[in-house]
Amino acid sequence: MENPNESIAHAPLPTPKTLKQRKNILIQMTRFIGINLKMVKMIRKGHHPMEKKVK
Amino acid sequence: MTYTDPSRKGETAKVEYDYLVNATGPKLNFAATPGLGPDGHTVSVCTFGHAIEAAKSLKDAIAIMKSGKRQSIVVGVGHGTCTCEGAAFEYTFNVEHEIRAAGVRDLADITYITNEYELGDFGVGGLVFSQNGFQTTSKLWTESLFREREIKAILGAHVEKIEPNEVHYELVDGKKDVLKFDFAMLLPPFRGVDMKAFDRNGVDITEKLFAPSGFMKVDADYSGKPFEEWLASDWPKTYRNPLYPNIFAVGIAFAPPHQISKPRKSPNGTLIAPSPPRTGMPSGIMGKTAILSIRELIKSGANASVASASMSDMGAACVASAGSGLKRGSAASMTMYPVVPDYVKYPNTGRSLEDTFGEIGLAGHWIKLLLHYMFTYKAKARFGWYLIPE
Repeated sequence: MENPNESIAHAPLPTPKTLKQRKNILIQMTRFIGINLKMVKMIRKGHHPMEKKVK
Repeated sequence: MTYTDPSRKGETAKVEYDYLVNATGPKLNFAATPGLGPDGHTVSVCTFGHAIEAAKSLKDAIAIMKSGKRQSIVVGVGHGTCTCEGAAFEYTFNVEHEIRAAGVRDLADITYITNEYELGDFGVGGLVFSQNGFQTTSKLWTESLFREREIKAILGAHVEKIEPNEVHYELVDGKKDVLKFDFAMLLPPFRGVDMKAFDRNGVDITEKLFAPSGFMKVDADYSGKPFEEWLASDWPKTYRNPLYPNIFAVGIAFAPPHQISKPRKSPNGTLIAPSPPRTGMPSGIMGKTAILSIRELIKSGANASVASASMSDMGAACVASAGSGLKRGSAASMTMYPVVPDYVKYPNTGRSLEDTFGEIGLAGHWIKLLLHYMFTYKAKARFGWYLIPE
């Protein structure tokens, strides 16, 4: 089993630009819409118990 | 049954039923690990009362750090067979956020201890995402977050016992060690609540209705085949008990047919196997499935077609908070479809790459906040509640 902390030390670190984007209100507003749409799509795909009736 | 409502506490009653839905959730099995939990030496966030106590304990640790003393903070799971690693992951980053916000991050050594073999496993065998034209894994994604927030990890661990300020654990390779702590939040393993079942003649049928774990058997394949041979189709579809089809079990209360993450044993024979998570969105869908089926059975009789919702054919969204605040908050938003990988339908990763993704940012915190208010609204059955998905 590899040492997890060595693996963590070699994981990609977000750049200052990425960190800023994660907090930028305008960018995050678009991501808010984007993530919600993805979730709605996933929900519509698999959450219909009555459409998959079984005996 | 015995009432737990404070106004009727201890009062017993017999309730007749035509249909029964077992939706009790789990028994928090702190007793599985000596010294674990609020009656031992660690805190928990599994109930409202536990969370209040944990918050107070964390506040005390932060006050000590403010006086200049270093503190060792441990968050994770307190047994090799725990589930809900996502909740422990979420709490780790919330704690880190609070400590950083208090201005004492340099005085905190934060360690995440888990039964997961790899970071990002979450009890579902990890996820593969499509990101910027590449396939990436939840392992890499989670490790990146651990590096960014300077949190250490102990993986593949079974916590053997807790002593004052010491976590004794065994790793999957059989090595044993001790981790010192000043503040520790470790989740307990779950088992079914202590229920007994009797037939009309008073014969004890508990073993027929429940698995040894105390969870209720439903329409799953419990033949106990090897992990490598399991199929997505082994998972229950209707959540009906095969012997008593008017009994349903949903959410944590049903017995899963097998683990989703690969179970492992240490050379000492200790089982280190994350249990399948089935809280949150899947629980809601299972509950709805049971109720829709009961409606059909009442309307059309015992031979009616009933609703079906297998975890191998349903998705789940998980928004793991990594710090609160409308402008400074953060959360990891994840979706997976299906929850139980289906390697027949999706041969490479077991899941749809299109519907499985992860993203970190402030938007995730807003979604978490929105879901909080939406689910509270739905739980109160206010106007239009049924339009809000599970």
